[in-house]
Amino acid sequence: MANNNLLTFSSSPHVKSPKTTRQIMIHVCIALLPALIMGVIYFGLNALLLTVVSVLSAVLSEGVYLLATGKSVREIINQFDFTSCVTGLLIALSIGVQCPVYIPALASVFAIIVVKMIFGGTGKNLVNPAVTGRVFAFMSFTSIMASGWIAPSINALFSGGSYDPVSGATVLTQMLSSNALPSLSNWDLLLGTGVAGCIGETCKVALIVGGIYLAVMGIINILYPAIYIATAGLFAVVLNNFQFTYFLPSILSGGLMLGAIFMATDYTTTPNTTLGNVIYFIVLGLVTTGLRIATGIEVVSFAILLMNLFVPLIDKFVINTPFGFVKPKNRGCK
Amino acid sequence: MKTSFKKIATDGVITNNPTLKLVLGTCPTLALTTLAMNGIYMGLAVTFVLICSNVIISLLRKLIPNQVRIPAFVLIIATFVTIVRLVLDKLLPDLYEALGLYLPLIVVNCIILARAESFASKNGVIYSACDGLFMGIGFTLALTLMGAFRELLGSGAIFGTKLWDFSIGFFASSAGAFFTYGLFIALFAFFSSLISKHNKKKANAKSVNSCIKEAE
Repeated sequence: MANNNLLTFSSSPHVKSPKTTRQIMIHVCIALLPALIMGVIYFGLNALLLTVVSVLSAVLSEGVYLLATGKSVREIINQFDFTSCVTGLLIALSIGVQCPVYIPALASVFAIIVVKMIFGGTGKNLVNPAVTGRVFAFMSFTSIMASGWIAPSINALFSGGSYDPVSGATVLTQMLSSNALPSLSNWDLLLGTGVAGCIGETCKVALIVGGIYLAVMGIINILYPAIYIATAGLFAVVLNNFQFTYFLPSILSGGLMLGAIFMATDYTTTPNTTLGNVIYFIVLGLVTTGLRIATGIEVVSFAILLMNLFVPLIDKFVINTPFGFVKPKNRGCK
Repeated sequence: MKTSFKKIATDGVITNNPTLKLVLGTCPTLALTTLAMNGIYMGLAVTFVLICSNVIISLLRKLIPNQVRIPAFVLIIATFVTIVRLVLDKLLPDLYEALGLYLPLIVVNCIILARAESFASKNGVIYSACDGLFMGIGFTLALTLMGAFRELLGSGAIFGTKLWDFSIGFFASSAGAFFTYGLFIALFAFFSSLISKHNKKKANAKSVNSCIKEAE
């Protein structure tokens, strides 16, 4: 063990920071709390149950995988860095409350074991685990996850858990299928009152508060989600014959806010350079709106998953000029 | 090169399993493993073509000029694929429909061409037939196991018998096909490494024992 400490190898960038992965992830958990609280208020205790199941199965599956690879319990507890908590939370917040508990459980297990641990654990995953877990659940249980949306009500918390599926479609799918503005006002969309949707994506104010918290703590650069959201909204305006009334409804409906603030900004699956990030989030916005209109369903998670795969490519072509770099003269031979 | 039937058999089914070790014939493997039955039928069709083409190529191996051997192999393989297609179309039209495009695609199935090139064109008739048989068995086993896994998780059934209503649609989709294939390759590599480690230990122990005996 002593030798291991003397000879630490790590790949670049060799940046020293007082922030540890564990602290960052705890901050992300705190930032997700407002959205979770609003979700529980709107959708009742069932939402809390789904979240607990999702987080527990994510944490447990990580523990079981580490045990199976020969780590001791003490090591696992020492290394526990709350990344799986964030994954579990995000999966629970991005599914509808009408789902039975096995959906977030399976999605979390898939996200942690297949997407994260097999590729080498935290920081080595190719794509965002939470997004992939959600896509896995969506592909597996499409009929449950894409219908029977429950419109929230403040009374849900006290009504004892009996809900009626109020509307069959979310605001976004209605908007996309009828190609008209939603009947709800932008204020309703912002606050989430009467908006059917996933647990965490309904109250946009809570998500924005979480995003501002992360930006203030220096965890994320607020510019990047802003670029993503703005591009997605503007592209929706362009595709709807420059009717600017489409801007706010398209950025305030669906999972765009949740995806932009918490899912797309994952460190591992974003480019390393500023220019790369700007390109990444602009293309992400275009892909999201384009696919939304082409397919007529909410595709934020699919768009993020797709763009995650392009991150290594962006990193390959967008390279920072090293300090003091002189362009070599072309001598006409290689 | 010393060839024995035992080596051919273990090669075809385990050490050189065409699907899980050589990663050949991926197209039918990915597309047809939604049902375990499809895996068996596809495997049997490929096995038949493999045996027949191996025998004919082995018989003609001294007559086919080296420069035109690939077109000659493809021609022989295509002949047998056509036979399989015509027979299935006449006798089992449902199966013919289910296998669809993947039946004529057996012509370009890498396993058959690879065995023709690397085995049948260098070995005798009986060995080649044997090789075709065991390669076919290896292919059929892999496809059937993958099909059973995907059928069980993707539609809650096994060999067409419904077990329960719960199903994970992911495994029935094409993404699930790639995932299952990767999973099976990983598991196969894991178990074969375990077995080879075990064998090495055994061999080491044997050699140590014989040394001790000699010393005594």
